[in-house]
Amino acid sequence: MSAVRITGGKVLDPANGEVGVARDVFIVDGRIASSDLADSATETIDAKGGIVMAGAIDIHSHIAGGKSNIARLLMVEEQRAIREPAGQFCACGGGLSTMTAHATGCRYVEMGYTAVFEPAVVAANARHMHVEMGDIPFLDTGGYLVLGNDDFLLDLIASGAGQQAVNDYVAWMLAATKCMAIKIVNPGGINAFKFNSRWMQLDEANPHYEITPRKILTTLIKAVTELGLAHPIHLHGCNLGVPGNEDTTLETIAATEGMPLHMTHVQFHSYGTEGDRKFSSGAVKIAEAVNKNPNISIDVGQIMFGQTVTASADLMSQHRNRGIATPKRWIGMDIEMDAACGIVPFAYKDKSFVNALQWAIGLELFLLVEDPWRIFLTTDHPNGAPFTTYPHLIRLLMDKPFRDEQFAKLPKSARKHSILGELKREYTLEEIAIVTRAAPAKILGFTDRGHLGAGAVGDVVIYRDDPDREAMFSRADYVLKDGQVVVKDGEIVGLTYGKTHSVAPDYDKSMDVKLDRWFDEAMGFKAKTFKLADHEIREGAGTVVHATARSA
Amino acid sequence: MTEAVGGGVTHKDVVCPFCGLGCDDISLKVDGLSVEAGEGACGRAAALFRRSAAPAPSARVAGRDASIDEAVSAAADLLAGAASTAYAGFAADVNGVRSLIKLASKTGGSVDHYASAGLFRNLSTSQRKGWIATTLAEVRNRCDLFVVVGPDPSEAFHRLYTRVTPPTGRFVEGRRKVVFLGGEPSAEARQQLVGLDVETIEVREGGLVDALSRLNTLVSGGSTPPVEPDLAPLAEALKSAKYGVLAWNAAALGADGDLVVERAAAVVDMLNVTTRAACLPLAGRDNLIGANQTFLWNIGFPIRTAFRSGQATHDQALNRTGAALESADLMVWTSAFRPERPPGFEGKVVAIAHPDTTFESEPDVFIPVGQPGLDHRGLAFRTDTVVSIPLGKHRDSGLASVADVAKRILERLP
Repeated sequence: MSAVRITGGKVLDPANGEVGVARDVFIVDGRIASSDLADSATETIDAKGGIVMAGAIDIHSHIAGGKSNIARLLMVEEQRAIREPAGQFCACGGGLSTMTAHATGCRYVEMGYTAVFEPAVVAANARHMHVEMGDIPFLDTGGYLVLGNDDFLLDLIASGAGQQAVNDYVAWMLAATKCMAIKIVNPGGINAFKFNSRWMQLDEANPHYEITPRKILTTLIKAVTELGLAHPIHLHGCNLGVPGNEDTTLETIAATEGMPLHMTHVQFHSYGTEGDRKFSSGAVKIAEAVNKNPNISIDVGQIMFGQTVTASADLMSQHRNRGIATPKRWIGMDIEMDAACGIVPFAYKDKSFVNALQWAIGLELFLLVEDPWRIFLTTDHPNGAPFTTYPHLIRLLMDKPFRDEQFAKLPKSARKHSILGELKREYTLEEIAIVTRAAPAKILGFTDRGHLGAGAVGDVVIYRDDPDREAMFSRADYVLKDGQVVVKDGEIVGLTYGKTHSVAPDYDKSMDVKLDRWFDEAMGFKAKTFKLADHEIREGAGTVVHATARSA
Repeated sequence: MTEAVGGGVTHKDVVCPFCGLGCDDISLKVDGLSVEAGEGACGRAAALFRRSAAPAPSARVAGRDASIDEAVSAAADLLAGAASTAYAGFAADVNGVRSLIKLASKTGGSVDHYASAGLFRNLSTSQRKGWIATTLAEVRNRCDLFVVVGPDPSEAFHRLYTRVTPPTGRFVEGRRKVVFLGGEPSAEARQQLVGLDVETIEVREGGLVDALSRLNTLVSGGSTPPVEPDLAPLAEALKSAKYGVLAWNAAALGADGDLVVERAAAVVDMLNVTTRAACLPLAGRDNLIGANQTFLWNIGFPIRTAFRSGQATHDQALNRTGAALESADLMVWTSAFRPERPPGFEGKVVAIAHPDTTFESEPDVFIPVGQPGLDHRGLAFRTDTVVSIPLGKHRDSGLASVADVAKRILERLP
């Protein structure tokens, strides 16, 4: 039996209602234990003056897969410039917006993150995604499977096969790709681009299947609800980045009719057309709608100024954006009757009216959405900024004078279009713990993560209580992964690997026959080759399969 | 699926790891150690899968039979004593590549795959400018006009047309058309193309870059001098196609291959302003693509990268095997898929290789390894870079994997 006792710190555990409670935290055999169980404590960690939290969870960060490799390829200058420092735990990787697997795990865990989820697993690329995620140390991971542009599904919906068939197909795909949630990227739009459509509105029919994004969205929302998935549909909506898309976003919220929906990187979907430049903030309207609709949760996709690379399955949008590529190169791919990808390097500039306003819109959303349990701290890594900017973002949210100072540096034209200066809210530490720990665990359905109650995983972080919150969240004093100390004084001191999470709801086995035929005829290889086996995950460890409760 | 027949068993739906198309309908008859490919296998795959009943050779150190342990120790000693190591061949499954990366980053040395010339021709465009590419199933279902640029890729990707241009496609109206620009289909390719409209446009030798430049001008709406061949009909066909695809085997292109790829990608880029089109840039023998992908996510660079003092640097020219061998004193040759013959080299050689490998001169250390997809499970990438294919184990040869051997050498390093 291994046991750790963390003593002298203040526990910040909003999921269990503990806000700065002075108590010891015990970890026995990798899990949090109540004190009386932990008489055998062998290792004591002095957390005096520190704040003790659960490991942070990122619900949306593009950390792996084919698109990440294309980004590394395109951003070779960044790879040359930023290398992992040589040392005991170096793996000779590098990058920032294009960080390699080992570096990704190291930089996340130094900040106190112990679970990060990849939000865009294209089914055809799932095997690659899993093998790459297996090379990321420290982090528990899992993927959201991208559906909603796959020809098999669109054909099912268009041919009137019915909700049950869709549910069976979704369950089949989840089992085959070992993913844990469903993501939709530009519902039907990626598919429509393959038929040469350049735009797709919520109620516009696909040129081939004649079904609308609304139909695809609502059908898949029903599917995950009926299959009993914990995480709602994770939606990258229509018209990403297009001025005026606030209307689409509001219509999308209305289209849910009260059913759960998570809308991702909403900053990119909160644009109006007011003002002389026909580009304005829609944050007030969007936040109001989020506040009014408890079935909706969002993550922000905050942008930060500097060079990054945008990587998306939304080739329709990325093809539109190709002209603003910086440096001038980009790659697009149509993928396997399934989805696509578009990788466009981009530098956000604080002197640019549009970029400055995007920055302000993200912060407005953070400050205007009232319920911290329904908003998540993301930069849509690497699309808005690398995840390493999270501590800076936390300071912007917690420190109004600091925020005002940064805001003042922006062009007057942009400031004129933002109410950011009028927003007085400062996030409390408790709210930061909610948006980075408790709420992500809840929205993903983890009952044993994001908190420090007995039975939770032994992912524990100790921060020193530094009034400079950026410094505080940049490097943790201690990080424990499954009860093992992996970071001490902000430095990696041990190497561990996490687990991969998935769901596998039941499906009617007649779906096997349909997909065998589909693969033989359309895909040109076999369904059984497509399906991942447990032995392929983390050298045979398999995934942690979470229960689903299929409703009738 | 496995069926017992006669003295052996027949494994059906075996996934083929060799060329990068990832066919998964091969049947293998395995009797003890002997292997014979049946239905599904193209001629090349059949030859590469074939095994006699003879047991694999022993490991060797300085030409003498040795235990794996002795060979591993000898390899570790050579690596420890080398001033400059070139990791060459580099043909292994993803796990093998992962282990070789760990070994190379520890010992230092340059890394290149033996068949990477085509990959780097493709990267010269994709990395500097980018392109719009596609995958096998998209071509199969959408492509109404398939333009083969340069030599027939099916020489290397044997069942290419069967896989990507069957006579009918889900979204293809009417007959699918295949145009060979500057090359012609082999007799075998013609068999695969029965039922399609096939056209060949002759291009003078060395004239492919010029032809593609003119094609680009034409699809952009410009006019070109009246030289042969007349490419206006092809330009019109591409503009009116719903999903035109330009495909090439970069390894088979000539010295001006970089420019051919660049011009072809430019044509596709222009076409996408008004219609849909994509490149199918073929490369990928012996998990070349998987080696490169594994390198990208672990190291951040493509292969042709060198490790020195715990840091990786990428230089396509300096780290090309041919160039690296000029200054190396040790070559670590890895080829698990086929008995590829390593290049001649004056310095010391450690070969972690297919049991049937022949050498110009006896390597200092020879460690026979199993073939991923026959002797052990593994993962390889398809030529289109997106799909990766699970390789199975179909006989018990006792041969170690590259991953095991590299791991053991790493553990034995001082």
